[in-house]
Amino acid sequence: MSCGVLDEEEFSRCCQLLLHHSDSVGDGWSWEAVQSSDEGYLKKTVLRSVPADQSITQKHKESGSDSEQFDYCRFKTEEQGVNGSADSLRPDVEDEDDCVCRAPGGSSCSSVLQFEYHVLYSCSYRTPVLYFRASTLEGRSLTLEDVWNSVHPNYRLGLQSRPLDAITQQEHPFLGQAFFFLHPCRTEEFMKPLLQMTWDQNRPVNYVLSWLSVVGPMVGLDVSLDYVTLQQPTV
Amino acid sequence: MSDSAESPTETQKEEIHPPPDDSATNDDKKKIDVLLKAVGDTPIMKTKKWAVDKGRTVQSLAQFISRFLKLDATEQLFIYVNQSFAPSPDQEVGVLFDCFGSDGKLVLHYCKSQAWG
Repeated sequence: MSCGVLDEEEFSRCCQLLLHHSDSVGDGWSWEAVQSSDEGYLKKTVLRSVPADQSITQKHKESGSDSEQFDYCRFKTEEQGVNGSADSLRPDVEDEDDCVCRAPGGSSCSSVLQFEYHVLYSCSYRTPVLYFRASTLEGRSLTLEDVWNSVHPNYRLGLQSRPLDAITQQEHPFLGQAFFFLHPCRTEEFMKPLLQMTWDQNRPVNYVLSWLSVVGPMVGLDVSLDYVTLQQPTV
Repeated sequence: MSDSAESPTETQKEEIHPPPDDSATNDDKKKIDVLLKAVGDTPIMKTKKWAVDKGRTVQSLAQFISRFLKLDATEQLFIYVNQSFAPSPDQEVGVLFDCFGSDGKLVLHYCKSQAWG
């Protein structure tokens, strides 16, 4: 590790340490090896219940309807052709791109979304990179805006007022599928002073863990304090 | 335990000082001492030691520090515990104190960086 970056061997080592902790606390990270090489990436799948008030209802409130009584959530699907039915969402399709779920009785509607997070190594930036995607349980991909709206407001502030510029769609280097990814261009910059501090104090630090603790919340990924507290010597 | 802040602005007084009814109960277990340390070339706060409500979130504290340091919109602030780990923005400082506090205080490092976008 030097100057805010790390080599691939260090990346793998940090990932294995992270996995060790994840296994001991059941945090769900796994290592996906690429073919039979040492190369690979971290992966975690999270199911998240998204309340209606964190969705994009505001833009789509209909006038003259009983929307005041109901909270509803709406996911704008990517244009993938057929807008399949979603039993659990009770869709009320208004146009081919939208699926609206209404919760009768005035209770807030929540839907369960599946988030997948992958931590890969970027050879060009020499840093970890976070790829992610989200879908409904029926397999319908979420747009970036919906992903963003599903992230707790406190977490969104980390990307200031223009978060979407930092997140773009990218083909997953190993899976060849469309993922969102958080651009690594700033990683070295924010990791450098942190690493310098720990170097000066001769304290080992897990680069991947530190990095993940910073970027994870920006995309709704929580990294538990367990990862650090478990390393603490018992008082 | 009182903080050593000069608190020149109204905003700071509101944020750091407890609401009147809390101070009436004089329950200083509701506040913890936080020592803020700058990382890298981040400006050093004139006042480093603060008494912070246990229920205050990391995000709230980060916003406070950003305003105190007058960071502009293109800069963002990161807070670290244990010199290495960024706690979740909605984590309460009281919990951090329980995990990482020593000598009656919680040391938090803060670092500014160019924001994405």
